[in-house]
Amino acid sequence: MALDLKKFISRFVEEAREHIKRLGEGLDAMSRDSEDRENINAIFRSAHTIKGSSRMLKLSSITETAHKLEDVLGALRDGSLHYRPELGNLLYRGVDAIAVLVEYLAKSGDGATLPAVDEALCASLAQAATGEVSAAVARPSGIDLATDDAPLAVESTSPPAVTPSTLAVTSPSVKAKLNTADTVRVRLAKLDELIKLMGEVVSSHATLRQRLHDIRLIEYDDSPESWEQHRARLHHFGLTLRDDVQGQELLMNELHDKALIMRMLPLAMVFDSAGRVVRDLAHSVGKEVECVVIGAEIELDRQMIDKLSDPIVHLLRNAIDHGLETSAARLAAGKSPQGHITLSARQDGGWVVIEVADDGAGVPVEAVREKALRKGFISAEQATSLSDQEVVDLIFRPGFSTSAIITDISGRGVGMDVVKQSIVDDLQGEVTVETRLGAGTTFALRLPLSLAVMRVLLVEVNGLPFGFTAQYVDELIRVPHEEMLTIVERNAVIIRNEFVPVVALADLLHAPKRLVKTSRSQTGTFDHGMLLVVVRVRNEKLALAVDDLLDERDMVIKPLPEHMRRLTMVSGMVITGRNELVSVLHAPVLLELARKARGQTSRTEAADHAEAQGTAYKILVVDDSLNTREIEKDVLEAWGYHVTLAEDGMDGLQRARAGTFDAILTDVEMPNMDGFTLTSMLRQEEKYRDTPIVIITSREKEEDKRHGIQVGADAYIVKGDFEQNSLVDTLRSLLG
Amino acid sequence: MNQQEITLDQLLSQRREANREIVNVEEPTRKLVVFELQGDWFAFQGEKIREILSHVDVFFVPGCPTSLEGVINVRGDIESVISLHELLQLPESVDISSSSYLLGSGAGMSSTIRVDKVVDVVDVLLSNIHKPPTTLPEHLRAIVSGVLQFKEKTVTALDLDRIFADYSNGLG
Repeated sequence: MALDLKKFISRFVEEAREHIKRLGEGLDAMSRDSEDRENINAIFRSAHTIKGSSRMLKLSSITETAHKLEDVLGALRDGSLHYRPELGNLLYRGVDAIAVLVEYLAKSGDGATLPAVDEALCASLAQAATGEVSAAVARPSGIDLATDDAPLAVESTSPPAVTPSTLAVTSPSVKAKLNTADTVRVRLAKLDELIKLMGEVVSSHATLRQRLHDIRLIEYDDSPESWEQHRARLHHFGLTLRDDVQGQELLMNELHDKALIMRMLPLAMVFDSAGRVVRDLAHSVGKEVECVVIGAEIELDRQMIDKLSDPIVHLLRNAIDHGLETSAARLAAGKSPQGHITLSARQDGGWVVIEVADDGAGVPVEAVREKALRKGFISAEQATSLSDQEVVDLIFRPGFSTSAIITDISGRGVGMDVVKQSIVDDLQGEVTVETRLGAGTTFALRLPLSLAVMRVLLVEVNGLPFGFTAQYVDELIRVPHEEMLTIVERNAVIIRNEFVPVVALADLLHAPKRLVKTSRSQTGTFDHGMLLVVVRVRNEKLALAVDDLLDERDMVIKPLPEHMRRLTMVSGMVITGRNELVSVLHAPVLLELARKARGQTSRTEAADHAEAQGTAYKILVVDDSLNTREIEKDVLEAWGYHVTLAEDGMDGLQRARAGTFDAILTDVEMPNMDGFTLTSMLRQEEKYRDTPIVIITSREKEEDKRHGIQVGADAYIVKGDFEQNSLVDTLRSLLG
Repeated sequence: MNQQEITLDQLLSQRREANREIVNVEEPTRKLVVFELQGDWFAFQGEKIREILSHVDVFFVPGCPTSLEGVINVRGDIESVISLHELLQLPESVDISSSSYLLGSGAGMSSTIRVDKVVDVVDVLLSNIHKPPTTLPEHLRAIVSGVLQFKEKTVTALDLDRIFADYSNGLG
């Protein structure tokens, strides 16, 4: 009877994947040091093993490819052949072809349906083994590593002969995907520990059973003991139960940690294949790119690892397609012809920061600005007032793509928004971009280590509990009612020199009033002022007024039912000790909601009048706090002024020089250049000699005021006593 | 004496009658969960309802459409609570403390549906379930699968799959 080979296929796939990984690493090493004999031996052995085990399972196309690969490696090993970059590329192609076949096999589980061997590739390898590298090597292979549509992989067996230049636009199937796994390997020791802990839980449960028995005894005891004695027994019982509960808690925590660790996987799961992905993509657009991977050993919950693959591939694509220049352009700019991409990960407190950095041309801010304007994402007025950072952030808008020619790799207008969505919404993380023209771009993804357990702050509003994940909570403060400012029908507070808008959480959530008041809501804390939870997403803050704080601890986050996932305001649920289900609020969405509510504030008649007359004054607002800038802008726009924003003194000076403004409002403490320096610099400019300059700051000291006037400011407003009218009145009187 | 008058033919025909009864019992039936909403009786197909829960706490979730009243905890799984009042254009129940919750699944989603009271879980002959009348109001036409008489009241059988499918589409 014939042997049932299917049983062995999955084992082969697993083994082959390991060897493919080793081959990839070995070839990388060979490209750096082609004389390392030990390395050549190791990769030769891997190719040999794949050949041998695939032959046993009659996987002839894998056997054939591995065999040819082995021949070339053998020739390299015995010195009859010497390493050249073109040969390296050919070997990579061979390994990639095997990888594609193995993944196809993993999907189909049937060796009989395996695609036929790539004759052209095998011929090239055979030729190479004799010392010739055929011209065909230069052709990029349309390799498809996506396991979910494996049949496409067959296309790679006969790529059409096209020139690299047309490829950039028409390459049929450069579909890259980083590897993720369906199974987790757990060390036996870890599993044993877990099982031991389970035993402990069982015995702890037996203890609780005993306590139940104990309390029954006390309850039904009819011995004529005094009330005092009875109470003492109850007290003793309470103490024992407390110890048991504490012991149980420790046990649960340990069990939880151990179980979660099993689901932690090293980032290597996604990072390891990055090198090959970069190579394939770079090859297909005719650029030279080297990829460096750092921190692949950092572990993350596999739930996150699975979802990270696509965003990272997209960022890599983006770096290759938009970020890095062609070799010629790089040489012209005085850089090395080969571009560099660094994929790195590091731990930062409870976060993991993953960065995709390139040393390319940087994001062309002005081109982005123009394009955003052309596409109608921003108004002409916004185009002049948005800071560079805000402009760069526009690339995350759906439908935004700056590539002049739409290529197959990126630039289809989908991507960056998807990256943002999956990082922010699915993974509870943040995305930031840093870019310098000519020097490169870095995308940083900040992610929590695990989504399953998070530090959660529980607050109460209208008698209902709500949660915030701790990473978004900046601080908790209590502010006396009189410190609340009303600015254009909105509330704000000043927290350390920064205006932070205040919104009642109940209003934002449309939370109903709970009919039955819980005991905890009658704490009477309202008298001491307003309790504010300040949430921060990147550099934007929002203070949410809540009634009370309930708890803060690590909690298990449960997902919402599938059909409710579209409610982006809630990222999950936690269960409290009272067995209540509590919605964990997603801070970025709350900020968005608050921003939308803000957009609907009414404009004053003065604004409409100024607009109609076309006499709107142009004001430059300089402040390093995004919140403060926005609030000042709102106030001024409500009164009909045209506002341009600058994020620090240096930025302010450049904008002032580039344009003409009727008045300038500036903060004092700012990076790069402070407000005093900005004021004195502006006073030296011909066109700003007499322009009103107002300093708005939280520095209340007399000497600061004097300093402000000395450097040439016309007015000095302290943020603490800042009121809407005083700012507008001051501006009015200064503008005449 | 009378008994003797029964002829063989009569006996045989009685027997046939009895047999026919047995055949009738084997007529296909359908299990229905009959429930009450604002005094009217409705039903879901039994196979679609996994569990009937009562005395559960419903928790508010911000941002939900009005037909979604919140979530409940079913042994560690979070399930949503859907109210049919809006869909059936019935007035809202005032007191929900005695409500029951039907945990159903269909059209790829699972949720509980809040009802005022579960009347009965019964096996009904398929032949007793009639096609919905053509005079049915517009808002009901798509979701009503049949009409039957039960305990001298009219029961409107609803199509859970259809309701859930509309629901998951409508939310987006």
